[in-house]
Amino acid sequence: MGSILVVAEIQKGKIREASYELVSFARKIGAATNREVKSLVMGQGTAGLAEELAKKGGGEVFSADDAALANYNLDAAFAAVKAAITAASADVILLSNTPTGWDLAPRVAAALDAGFAPDCFNVEVEGGELVFFRRFFNGKLDARLRPTALPLVATMQPGATAAFEGAADGKVTPLAVSIGACGTKFIEVKVAGAKGVDLTKADIIVSGGRSLGGPEKFQEVIKPLADALGGAMGASRPVVDAGWLPHEYQVGSSGQVVSPKLYVACGISGAIQHLVGMKASNFIIAINKDADAPIFEVANVGVVGDLFEVVPKLTAAVKAAKG
Amino acid sequence: MKILVCIKQVPHQDARLDVNGAGTWIQEENIKFEINPYDQNALEAALQLKDKDAGSEVVVVSIGPERVTQSLRTALGMGADRAVHVKDAAADGSDSLGTAKILAAVAKAENPDLVFAGFMSDDGNLAATGPMLATLLGIPHTTTAVSFEKNGAIKVERELEGGALEVVELHTPCLITTQTGMNQVRYASLKGIMAAKKKPIDVKTVADLGLAGQVGAAAAKVKVEKLYTPPKGQGAEILSGSVDEVVGKLVGKIKELGLL
Repeated sequence: MGSILVVAEIQKGKIREASYELVSFARKIGAATNREVKSLVMGQGTAGLAEELAKKGGGEVFSADDAALANYNLDAAFAAVKAAITAASADVILLSNTPTGWDLAPRVAAALDAGFAPDCFNVEVEGGELVFFRRFFNGKLDARLRPTALPLVATMQPGATAAFEGAADGKVTPLAVSIGACGTKFIEVKVAGAKGVDLTKADIIVSGGRSLGGPEKFQEVIKPLADALGGAMGASRPVVDAGWLPHEYQVGSSGQVVSPKLYVACGISGAIQHLVGMKASNFIIAINKDADAPIFEVANVGVVGDLFEVVPKLTAAVKAAKG
Repeated sequence: MKILVCIKQVPHQDARLDVNGAGTWIQEENIKFEINPYDQNALEAALQLKDKDAGSEVVVVSIGPERVTQSLRTALGMGADRAVHVKDAAADGSDSLGTAKILAAVAKAENPDLVFAGFMSDDGNLAATGPMLATLLGIPHTTTAVSFEKNGAIKVERELEGGALEVVELHTPCLITTQTGMNQVRYASLKGIMAAKKKPIDVKTVADLGLAGQVGAAAAKVKVEKLYTPPKGQGAEILSGSVDEVVGKLVGKIKELGLL
């Protein structure tokens, strides 16, 4: 029986929360299939973080500490993961569904000629076999995925389970990685600049989606409600992709992650990447024509109806209530 | 320069999605299909390179049944030079790796300098095919490109979380997966559509590619065992009544929150 390898990620000098979530999943399936949990920490000057992970459930933690791993680099990271898989005799390899995960994990799977189960929100053991759960069609349908062979590479959605806490049973094993010429070169990370719109500070956000139909509708329908409530205007990804509003208005995993007191989603169906950006809001009102839209799953209150009818009347009623 | 663009035909984003009788995929009859939005950006990126260098050739490749011809014609109408259509029931049910193996066989025969693929497909959302294809071809890749620049070396801005971007440099041959919003996708002009009728679509089977028995459902290492409507949680309290009544209730809720 092989082991389960958790490929940890470092973010802002720390082991990422999502990596401890992987530890939770790994320990769950490890216990049910009698597999050991092992981990990989890669970076430069990161041996201390490997120690930390070893004390917090990572099991035997392979520490790849190399200048070539200082910034994410596909070939360097791939070499480290490959070395760790061999050292750990791993047949289940878990990464997080993050920019690193989606760049690296499919390469690992293809190189191993392995099955790949990306962006899963759960994994269960049924009759000794792994079953992964993930969303298809932008969250509209769920699926059970069954690997028919091992090894298997999977990526798990950040936030899909609680981070593992406790347990001090691990050890750190330094891992020598031979990193040759790399096909990609890291140049820099450009952090999102401080723009005019900082939605993370807004108490109230009124967001619109693709069904608004055009940029002028944001000014005619969404902005007046945001103004009446004293809040800010936001948008979903397709709106920004279409160029109707600048990127700084985008709420979602690739835009701003917000948690206002009130979030009003107008004509937003609720693709996963949008939900990730707003589901922590204190109170969510969703207005959508489609009663099956995933947005209604995270909303507190929903209106199944035409936003062009509801929103202007709501704007007028809010103005009237404010006097 | 020769550029290969991988495109997938997917249900239109407004298509009604019902699970099929076997519970393994969606009911595909009577729904509209389109070129996967992410792949439209991939094709546009390739065509922009061709606009700058008329000597470039853009080849599109797609896997799927007869209906895929329509998407390939659209791509040719937009300006691609020719198409390869892997049309074979033996390819049905391939997992990501199987799909990548089919595309790799096509790519090896074409030997492109540059490969573009959408970051993910709008149906499976697996985001696997592009990087797997690059791996099988032994070339570098980068994912979620939101900008592309080629002056000798290729410079790509790839999307990270929270609006951050990573600048990556790479050289041909390489593969780049494209994020939506990377560029504004052109429409096929009437002239383009007319010209597309004369452009070749090369139809291939799995056996033509030397992959008989290696792809398709039987070879899949991960199977979609069951597709189902997500269980409804507690969900939202759906307000009922006329628009005026509903608006009144919403104002009441906002007042309860102390925001009015």
